Amino acid sequence: MAGKTSQSEGASRTVSDVLHNETFRAILAQVILVGAVVLAAWYLVSNTLDNLAARQISTGFGYLTKNAGFEISDKFISVSAANSYGRALLAGLVNTLVVSLISIVLASLFGTIVGISRLSKNWLVAKLALTYVEGVRNIPLLLQLIFWWKVITAIAPQPRDALQILPEVFFSNRGLNFPLMSPDPVWGWVWLGLLVGIIGAVFIWRWANKVQARTGKRPGSIPLYLASIIGVPVLVWLVGGAPTGVDAPVLGRFSLTGGGSVSTALLAMIVGLTFYTSTFIAEIVRSGIQAVSHGQTEAGDALGLSRRQVLRLVVLPQALRVIIPPMTSQYLNITKNSSLGVAIGYQEIASITNTTLNQTGQAIEAIALMMVVYLSVSLTLSLLMNWYNHQIKLVER
Amino acid sequence: MKKFGLAVLAASAMAIGAGAAHAGTTLDAIKSRGSLKCGVSTGLAGFSIADSQGKWTGIDVDYCRALATAIFGDASKVEFSPLTAQQRFTALQSGEIDVLSRNTTWTITRDASLGLEFAGVNFYDGQGFLVKKSLGVESAKQLDGATVCIQPGTTTELNLADYFRANNMSFKPFVAETDNVAAEALQAGSCDVYTTDRSGLAATRASQLANPADYVILPEVISKEPLGPVVRRGDDDFFTIAKWTMYALLETEEFGINSKNVDEMAKSTNPGIQRLLGVTDQIGSKVLGVDDKWVYNIIKQVGNYGEMYERDIVPIGLDKRGVNDLWTKGGLMYAPPIR
Amino acid sequence: MAEDNTPAVLLKNLNKWYGEFHVLRNINLSVKRGEKIVVCGPSGSGKSTMIRCINRLEEHQEGSITVDGIELTDNLKNIDAVRAEVGMVFQHFNLFPHLTVLENCTLAPIWVKKMPRKEAEEKAMYFLDRVRIANQAHKYPGQVSGGQQQRVAIARSLCMSPRIMLFDEPTSALDPEMVKEVLDTMVMLAKEGMTMLCVTHEMGFAKAVADRVIFMDKGEIVEENEPEEFFSNPQSPRTRTFLEQIL
Repeated sequence: MAGKTSQSEGASRTVSDVLHNETFRAILAQVILVGAVVLAAWYLVSNTLDNLAARQISTGFGYLTKNAGFEISDKFISVSAANSYGRALLAGLVNTLVVSLISIVLASLFGTIVGISRLSKNWLVAKLALTYVEGVRNIPLLLQLIFWWKVITAIAPQPRDALQILPEVFFSNRGLNFPLMSPDPVWGWVWLGLLVGIIGAVFIWRWANKVQARTGKRPGSIPLYLASIIGVPVLVWLVGGAPTGVDAPVLGRFSLTGGGSVSTALLAMIVGLTFYTSTFIAEIVRSGIQAVSHGQTEAGDALGLSRRQVLRLVVLPQALRVIIPPMTSQYLNITKNSSLGVAIGYQEIASITNTTLNQTGQAIEAIALMMVVYLSVSLTLSLLMNWYNHQIKLVER
Repeated sequence: MKKFGLAVLAASAMAIGAGAAHAGTTLDAIKSRGSLKCGVSTGLAGFSIADSQGKWTGIDVDYCRALATAIFGDASKVEFSPLTAQQRFTALQSGEIDVLSRNTTWTITRDASLGLEFAGVNFYDGQGFLVKKSLGVESAKQLDGATVCIQPGTTTELNLADYFRANNMSFKPFVAETDNVAAEALQAGSCDVYTTDRSGLAATRASQLANPADYVILPEVISKEPLGPVVRRGDDDFFTIAKWTMYALLETEEFGINSKNVDEMAKSTNPGIQRLLGVTDQIGSKVLGVDDKWVYNIIKQVGNYGEMYERDIVPIGLDKRGVNDLWTKGGLMYAPPIR
Repeated sequence: MAEDNTPAVLLKNLNKWYGEFHVLRNINLSVKRGEKIVVCGPSGSGKSTMIRCINRLEEHQEGSITVDGIELTDNLKNIDAVRAEVGMVFQHFNLFPHLTVLENCTLAPIWVKKMPRKEAEEKAMYFLDRVRIANQAHKYPGQVSGGQQQRVAIARSLCMSPRIMLFDEPTSALDPEMVKEVLDTMVMLAKEGMTMLCVTHEMGFAKAVADRVIFMDKGEIVEENEPEEFFSNPQSPRTRTFLEQIL
């Protein structure tokens, strides 16, 4: 009898209780949302295809394998007019990554210096840093890029009067020209040697940690690391017969040829992105350091740690935690802002995408592809930074 | 980022707009709007350039005025949108403009795969090279290793690469978004050579460079560049009007009808002239669906092709018409009969 | 090391200004080895500043400070030598939040005293055990209570084997129920013969362990006396007013 009652109660519960169940409702809402999104996407895609077909505009990604037929000025992978649009776009992506990476490194270094200068006790240094930050970050980046581009093209000397800033390194309105070592198979091994040297330095560092833990004395100072990083490749170079052939830039009929070169547009991009972003990074670094309370420094001082030890062991590890998340978004900004290269003729992914969509007329595919590429690059960068941030997160109660 | 805006606009127009490709829609839209939207260049003397008051001149501009006259009987009912080379097709595809009259080269890819149609040729051009005299270059064959100013997304960009590859030479592109930027770069010495259509080079030399005499256009013509107006596919009536407006400009020149004598010519007893000016046969209303006086209006308000050439192209230094002369004078300009 | 009859801390005619503000006026104080001194006074009286001068967290402008026979000057070597002798406990603990309790205690021995990690950890565990918090050694400061954090801070200082301990209001940031555990620890230290200078208003503690109580006001030492005398028979009217307010 009792069993029956509970059963009928159970049945009534299944009807109304499930409808009022919080979990069920949450799942239902999500199912409806996903369904709506999928439906809308399907409608948009099919309607687009219909319209494109009706207007006799070609569709699909077949154009990627077609011959591109245009040249790219700055290239870090081999690409020419004889390659496909796909290859050209890849070269554009590499150009985006190159300019972003260089700017990220330079902006981080310079921004850190400016950020620390903002906290300087020297009045002049602090005010200079403040003026720099407020001045540069309040001018739109596009203007700055055009400014630097104009400065370099208009003020820098002609190739025949190029400024020699270092031996065999020339600066002209065509950009930078610098010597490269003549191709020789030994150089491949030397690079490998450098890699081995760096790995060696890491091992020396870990060994030093172990020795310090055991004896208290930390062996191995800077010369030891340098010996590994520089010594190994130099040794490889010597063993390989020490080739010394240099491919230096020489003045040809039109401009400097031979060696390596960086174009005006790339130069302007690096300078513009670095200066602009460094101001934001400076503020992040400043607030990160200020976020570590003065009590931390005092505690370190009171324990007898040296100034450098306090900075390295106490302040920086804590400041980094505050700095990393906003730094991530600055790095993402650099990557996205590199698309402004379009304006000054730096052929990064957005610029190549533009040319491609103009030559093939396939605007939707080209733009979609570019968005996917930017999204992938940004998400990868975010993931890396989030992972790093997670590694160093503070444990709280 | 206007060009991305346009591309995204085009994408969303394709995605949301339903059945936008029915016949008659472009012409209907123009009529109900009361004006023609015409895409032109951002500034190229002789073809389309705005003065300090914002008044547009040039042969591409005049074509749009003629087309507006055919539709409305009024040459002023046209709005001009300046577009870079990279923006132009997207602007037309998305319906931002009705007709693209922007020194655009007719190629099979553009005619057949972009959802667009070329309505004729208003200038036969060819690609050339503009260099500083001081470089001492006399032939394009001596340009190996040069830095070349180039507008991205143009046929000249592709021809350039082809030409250098065919002649086993190398070059470095210097990407310049507009003609203006290219001229500046050439003047500053950021590039050694500027390549585009020879008419464009002449225009640039005449109007953008401080000392035109310091520059020379090399003799080589490395491509065929038939330039003409483009319309969107899907509205055959509009396409026909656009095409025959171009022919009317040629046909009237051949008959010797111009803006000064058109009123007199209207009294002519020549049946060909009577037909053309709408005195007899009512070709305008019965065949094209426009005013019978459409040719009369065009010539009265804009002038014939020869007058346009005289007014727009001669001042940039191309006083010999050459291939752009009428077929009767040894050129390529030839209109099918209007009857 | 100095001989046993030299004072642990000797302040002579100490003067200090913050800009125009005269924080310390002619302070003279001699602390014997093993002596326990409690410093009290209203806020802003300069008592914290005085003890912060002793390990050079603050610079003085006039007079001299001699710690264990070493005079504090601009010489960094002297500053380091003094800091090696003197431990400090702060009002807000100032533990390093990115390090575990154990790492907080081993950081300075490893990097300053160049002690092998194992030895440093053994020593740290010994002191953590003394302050009865050894079972929390692998937690982070953010995971333990305020009283526990202050006991860790004491252990952290002890790991550097100081001969003198400075306490800057060690219990005033604590919830009332945690004050006792910290005071108990300090009493234990006192009983072991540590030289101590404590800025505190814990009068019970002062009565229990202090050899002398010093009352400061407006940057001066107003009164200096044995605790019994100090509380029952204050000499200065300012001391009297102050005691009336806090007791």
